[in-house]
Amino acid sequence: MRDFHYLEPRTVSEATAMLADHGEEACVFAGGTALILALRQRMMAPGVLVSLGQLEEMRAIRFDPKEGLLIGAMARHNDIARSKIVRQHYPVVAEMAGGLANPQVRNQATIGGNLCYADPSTDPPACLLALGAELTIKGQHGARRIPMDEFNVDYFTVAMEPGEILTQIRLPPPDQEVTTFYRRHLRTPAEHRPVANLALAVRNRGGAFEDVRLIVGAATPAPQLLDGVQDYLSGRSVTAEVAAEAADRAAEEMFPISDGRGDEGFRRQVVRALTRRLVAEAANLDWKETE
Amino acid sequence: MMAKNRISLEINGEAVEADVRPNRLLSDFLRDDLALTGTKRGCETGVCGACSVLVDGDVVKSCLSLAIQMNGCSLTTVEGLACDGAPSPLQKSFMECGGLQCGYCTPGFLMAASDLLARTSRPDVATIRKNLSGNLCRCTGYQGIVDAILDASEKMHGT
Amino acid sequence: MNAFAPGLPTPQVTSQEKALGRATYAGDLKIAGMLHAKLLRSPHAHARILNVDVSRAIALPGVRAVFTGDDVPQRAWGVKHKQQHVLAREVVRFVGEEIAAVVAIDEDTAEEALDLIRVEYEPLPALIDPSQALEPNAVKVHPGGNLADEIGIVRGDVDSAFAEADIVHEETYTTHSQYPGYMEPMATLATTDGSGKLTVWTATQSVFLARQRLAEALDRPVSTVRVVQPTVGGGFGGKIIEERSSVIAGFLAAATDRPVRLCLSRIDDMLSGAFSVPMKIRLKMGMTRDGRITAKDVSIRADCGAYAGLAPEVMLVTAMRSDNMQRLEHTRSHAQLVYTHTMPRGAFRGFGGTQMAFALNSHLTAMADLAGIDPIELHRQNAIRTGDLSIHGWKIGSCGLPECLNQIEGAIGWTEKRSRPKQRGVLRRGIGMAAAMHVSGNRTMGNWDGSTIVLKVNEDGRVVVLTSEADVGQGSNTMLSQICAHELGVPLSHVSVQTPDTDFTPYCLGSIASRVTINAGKAMIKAAREARETILAAAAEKLGCDAIDLTIEDGVVQSTSNANHFAKLPDICRYHIFRHGGEGIHIKATHDPDTVMMDGDHYGNIAPAYSFAAQAVEVEVDTETGQVRLIESWLSDDCGKAINPLAVHGQSNGAAVQAIGWTLCEELQFEEGRLMNGNLADYTMPTADSVPEMHSSIVESMDPNGPLGAKGASETAILPGAPAIANAVFDAIGVRITDLPITPEKILAAIAAQKEKRDA
Ligand SMILES: Cc1cc2nc3c(=O)[nH]c(=O)nc-3n(C[C@H](O)[C@H](O)[C@H](O)COP(=O)(O)OP(=O)(O)OC[C@H]3O[C@@H](n4cnc5c(N)ncnc54)[C@H](O)[C@@H]3O)c2cc1C
Ligand code: FES
Ligand code: FES
Repeated sequence: MRDFHYLEPRTVSEATAMLADHGEEACVFAGGTALILALRQRMMAPGVLVSLGQLEEMRAIRFDPKEGLLIGAMARHNDIARSKIVRQHYPVVAEMAGGLANPQVRNQATIGGNLCYADPSTDPPACLLALGAELTIKGQHGARRIPMDEFNVDYFTVAMEPGEILTQIRLPPPDQEVTTFYRRHLRTPAEHRPVANLALAVRNRGGAFEDVRLIVGAATPAPQLLDGVQDYLSGRSVTAEVAAEAADRAAEEMFPISDGRGDEGFRRQVVRALTRRLVAEAANLDWKETE
Repeated sequence: MMAKNRISLEINGEAVEADVRPNRLLSDFLRDDLALTGTKRGCETGVCGACSVLVDGDVVKSCLSLAIQMNGCSLTTVEGLACDGAPSPLQKSFMECGGLQCGYCTPGFLMAASDLLARTSRPDVATIRKNLSGNLCRCTGYQGIVDAILDASEKMHGT
Repeated sequence: MNAFAPGLPTPQVTSQEKALGRATYAGDLKIAGMLHAKLLRSPHAHARILNVDVSRAIALPGVRAVFTGDDVPQRAWGVKHKQQHVLAREVVRFVGEEIAAVVAIDEDTAEEALDLIRVEYEPLPALIDPSQALEPNAVKVHPGGNLADEIGIVRGDVDSAFAEADIVHEETYTTHSQYPGYMEPMATLATTDGSGKLTVWTATQSVFLARQRLAEALDRPVSTVRVVQPTVGGGFGGKIIEERSSVIAGFLAAATDRPVRLCLSRIDDMLSGAFSVPMKIRLKMGMTRDGRITAKDVSIRADCGAYAGLAPEVMLVTAMRSDNMQRLEHTRSHAQLVYTHTMPRGAFRGFGGTQMAFALNSHLTAMADLAGIDPIELHRQNAIRTGDLSIHGWKIGSCGLPECLNQIEGAIGWTEKRSRPKQRGVLRRGIGMAAAMHVSGNRTMGNWDGSTIVLKVNEDGRVVVLTSEADVGQGSNTMLSQICAHELGVPLSHVSVQTPDTDFTPYCLGSIASRVTINAGKAMIKAAREARETILAAAAEKLGCDAIDLTIEDGVVQSTSNANHFAKLPDICRYHIFRHGGEGIHIKATHDPDTVMMDGDHYGNIAPAYSFAAQAVEVEVDTETGQVRLIESWLSDDCGKAINPLAVHGQSNGAAVQAIGWTLCEELQFEEGRLMNGNLADYTMPTADSVPEMHSSIVESMDPNGPLGAKGASETAILPGAPAIANAVFDAIGVRITDLPITPEKILAAIAAQKEKRDA
C-alpha cells in the first residue's frame, strides 16, 4: 500500500473543505473495507485520506414521523441491523443489513461506503430503492438531496461529484398498507456476496397489487427498476400464473452482468426464480409447489 | 516516506502508544510492531477471518483496518482472552470439543465467538453458524467449533 | 485409569498453545537482521525469457538483492522427473512460475521492487487443453514430449468377463483440480549461521523430504541443510514434496548469507499450484443380474500441468486403488499423464483416490438402478472382506466396510427415505451414498516405510519424544503421547513431543499416505515398552525385587506382590543416571512394516493395513436456481481403532466438508492458463453456515498390524463425499452430473435438457 496522509475532520464542513483543498489527491475514507482492498491492489493511490470516522453526527439513526427514517451515512451495517428504530419501522432494512456480508464486515463497513462504492454485488441499493430512499449529499457549497433512483449510474459509478460527501439516507415514513420484501440469492451456499437480489414493495388491495416497485440488484451493473414488470403487476390480482409471467418478464427486462459469479443466462434465471417467489409471497401464495 | 502519526489505544487492557505510518494495516501493526502474532493473516482480503480482533467489543477484520483508525479504541486480541495465562472457558471448550486442529484459524474463531457470546448468551446452532460466516476453517468441518461454542455458552451461562 | 488412555477422546496436546494464540507458525518467526522476500511470477503460460533487467529494482533503497534464473543452480530438481529450478531458467511453463526474487528490508519494499523489474519475454504458443496434449502436432511442454507417464495394468480376462456380464455400463467422468485451502499460506524462514549450515523453518508435512528437496535444488550436501518444522497450519498434501517456495527461501538465505523470510500471500500461494490432479476417467463395468461385478475397464487421462511432481504416483492410485475395495477378478486400467502449460498439480488428501471414488461410486449407483438393486446392497455384496487377498495382491487384515455401510444406512434412514415418493416441488430432496478405501502407509520410497521414535525419560520421570512425523493439525503428537503415556504408566501431561528437526529427530517420511498412526504408533509402542523395561529393571535393582513383579502406574513403580516395594518414577530415573556407569534413559525403536514394494506389474501388498469409509447424504436441489444444499451427512470411518475418537471425528468432519467444497462450490477458473479467481472471495470454500451438522461415526475393525488395532484415518473420509452428493442429486432430480463440480449452471442445464426430452 502506498503512503498517504490521514486526516480526521471533526465536522462535515471541515471534511468537505479538506476534500476541496486536496482536490483529486483526496479520497473519503469511511469504514475502509472496500478502500483498503483497492489501495492494497493499487487500483488507486490517493495522497490524502479524509476519514469520516470522527463525525459522530453522521453515525446517528433517527426516526421522525414526518420525515421518516434518517440513517447517517457512517452507520455501520450492524448499527442498522441492531437499531431498535429500524427494526420497529423498517424490519426489512434491519433484516437486509443484518444478513449481508459477514459479522466482521457488518461491524466495519458503513452504509454510506457501501452506496458510494457502488460495487454491483451488494445488498442495500435494491432494498433502499424499493423503499423510495432519498440521499443527502454535501459539498463545499452546500447540500443537495437526490432520490435514490438517480444515484446509481453504472458499475462503481454514482451521481456524486468529487469532493462531495454522502451524509444521510432518508426513508419516507412507512405506509402501513405497503409491504416490502427483500431477498438475496447466493450462487452456492458458501458464497460471500449475492449473485442477485430482489426487492419488491406492493400495496395489496384485496388481492390486487398496487404501487408496485420491483428492483433487481447485484445481477445488473446498477440496481434496476423493472418498470415493465411493475406495470404488468399493477392492478392485477396475483395468481401462480401471474407470478410466473412476472418472473419471465423480469428475466427478460433486466440487463444482466456476466462475471465469475455467473453469466447473463444464469443471472436471468436466478432473477426469474426470485421474482416468482417474492411475487407469490406477497400474494400469500406458496411458491414451492409446481407442476 | 510519510511522517508517522502518534496513536494511543488500549490493547488487552494495557495502554499502548505508538507511532504508525497511516498506511499500516492493523494486522501488520499487531503482528510485526507489537509481536502479537496470535492474530493471523490468511487472505488479507477480508474473507477468512483469521485476523479477527475485537474493537470496542465488536469483532472486526484487522486486515481490513488501518492501525491509525484505532486511535482511542480498546482492542482485544486472542492474547487477551486468557485469564492469568490460563485458557478462558471459551478457549477451554475449543480445546476439549475439537474446536481446533491445526489451530491457524483458531484465534479468529475465538474472537468471532467472543463477540457472539457477549451479545447472545445461549445462541442456537443456526445462530452460531451464521455468526461464523466470516471465518474459514479447513480442518474441522466446523462441527468441533460449533460444539465448542455451544459447550462454552452452557458452561458460561448455565442451562 | 488414565483419562486420556487410547480409545478415549483426548484434546490435542498442542491445543493449549493454539487456543492461547501462542503456537508459533513459520510466518511468526523472526531472527535479528531478517530480510523479506517477494517473488515475481510469469504472466505467460509459455514464453522464452529473453532478458531480465533488475537494475532499477536493485537501486531501490532497502532492496538487498535480486535474483533471477541465471543465479540459481543448474541442477534440476523433482520427485522422479528432474525438471524444475529454484527460479525458472530460460523458459516459463505456466502462469505464476517464479522467475525472479527480491530480498529487501521489509515486504513493502520488496513488493515495490517487483514492479521495477523489467522482463522481456518471447511469448510462445501454449498447450492448455490436456485433450490436445498427445496430438501429433501439439506444442511440446518438455523436449521429450507431453506424455509424462503411462500405466497399464491387466488382471484376469477382462473381455470374456464383459461377455459374461448381464449388464454393462459405460460412462465418462471428469474431475477438476482442488486447492488444498490450508488456512496458513506457505511460509518459510531460512538462515545461514556462518558454519556452512542452512537452517530452514518451513510449513511442511515432512522435514526429511523437505531437506531432500532443498539439498537437491540448491545442489549442496544433504547434511548442510537443517529443516525444522514449526507449527503448521494445515497441509492436505500441498506441503509435501512438490512445494517450491521453501526451496526459493532456502536459496535466498544461502545466496545472501542472511536470514530471509518468505511468506506467500494467498494469491501467491494459489498461483504456486499445489492443486489436485484433474482427470478424465472412462469407466466401463460389467455385472451379473444379481449384482456381482464381473469386469472393470478403466481409462484415465490426467493433467499434471507443467511439471510431473508426484502426479505419476497420484495417477497410479486412481488407476488401481479402488479395485482393491471389491472382490474383483478381471480388471484393466490404462492411464496417461500429460503435461500442459498450466500450474503443476499433484498430491492432495486422498492422493488420487477422490477422482476414482467419484467415477466408481457414481457408476455403481447407476448400475444398481439398472439392476434394480439398492446401491448399499450392491456395495455390501461386492465388498472385500477381512482375510481376503485383493486383485492387486493387497492383504486385507481388517475390513470394516460392511459395518460402515450398515451404520450409514441406519443413521440416515436410508430405506425409509428411498421409498418415499419422488418429490415434485421446486425444492427436491434426494439421498445418495458412496464407499471408499485408502491405504495406511505405502511402501513407495526406497523400499522403506518405517518410523523411528526416540524416547528420553528425564530425571523427573517425564518423557520427551523425538520424532520427525509431522503433526500438521491432524493430531499425531496427541496419538503418540496417548500411546506413550499408556504404555509407560505416566500422565499424558508428562509426555512432550518435540518438533521435527532433521538434525535432532530421527529419520522419518512424515505425514503422507496416512502412515503416521500405523507406523509411528507401532514404533511408539515398542519404544515405550522398552523404556518401561529399562525402568523396571533399574527399579528391581534399587528395590531388590524381581522386575516381573513391578508395574508403573501414575508415575509410581509398584510391586504387585509386596506393597512395601514401591518407588516414585523420578527416583528410579535418577537412580538410572547417578551411579557408576549410569546414564539417562534414552530409547530408540524403529518399526518398518512387513510390506512390499509393488512389482513391475503393480502387484504387491504395499501397506500394513487398509482403511475404509462410507458416507450417505441428503441434499436439497433448488430446481429453479440450481443451488444444491446439503441437508444431512453421515460418514462412517473404519480406522481400525480410534486411539483418539475426538481426532478421528475431527478428521472425518473436516474431510467431509472439504469434499463438499470440491463437489459444490470450489472451482478454479482459468482463462488461457491464467487463474482468474486466485483469492478466497472468489474461490469459495465452505463456510460454517453453508453446511449442516456433520455426523461422523467410527467402525473399529481392530487391524492385526495396527498399533492397538489402529489404521489411518482422515484421507479415506474425503473419498466418498463427491459421489454421495452426485448420487443424491440424481435421486432428487433424476439427472446425473458426471463432471465436477456440480454447479448451479450444470444442474439447470441438465433439468432443461430433461424437460426438453420429456416434452419431445
Ligand atoms: C468479504 C466482504 C464481503 C462483503 N459482502 C457484502 C455483501 O454480501 N453485501 C453487501 O452489500 N456488501 C458486501 N460487502 C461490501 C461492504 O458492505 C463494503 O465493504 C462496503 O460497502 C464499503 O463500506 P466502507 O464503509 O468500508 O467503505 P470505504 O471502504 O471506506 O469506502 C468505499 C468507497 O466509498 C467512498 N465513500 C465512503 N463513504 C463515503 C461517503 N459518506 N461519502 C462519499 N464517499 C464515500 C470512499 O471514498 C470509497 O471510494 C462485502 C465486503 C467484504 C470485504
Ligand atoms: S486475513 Fe483478514 S480476513 Fe483473512
Ligand atoms: S483448525 Fe486448521 S484451519 Fe481451522
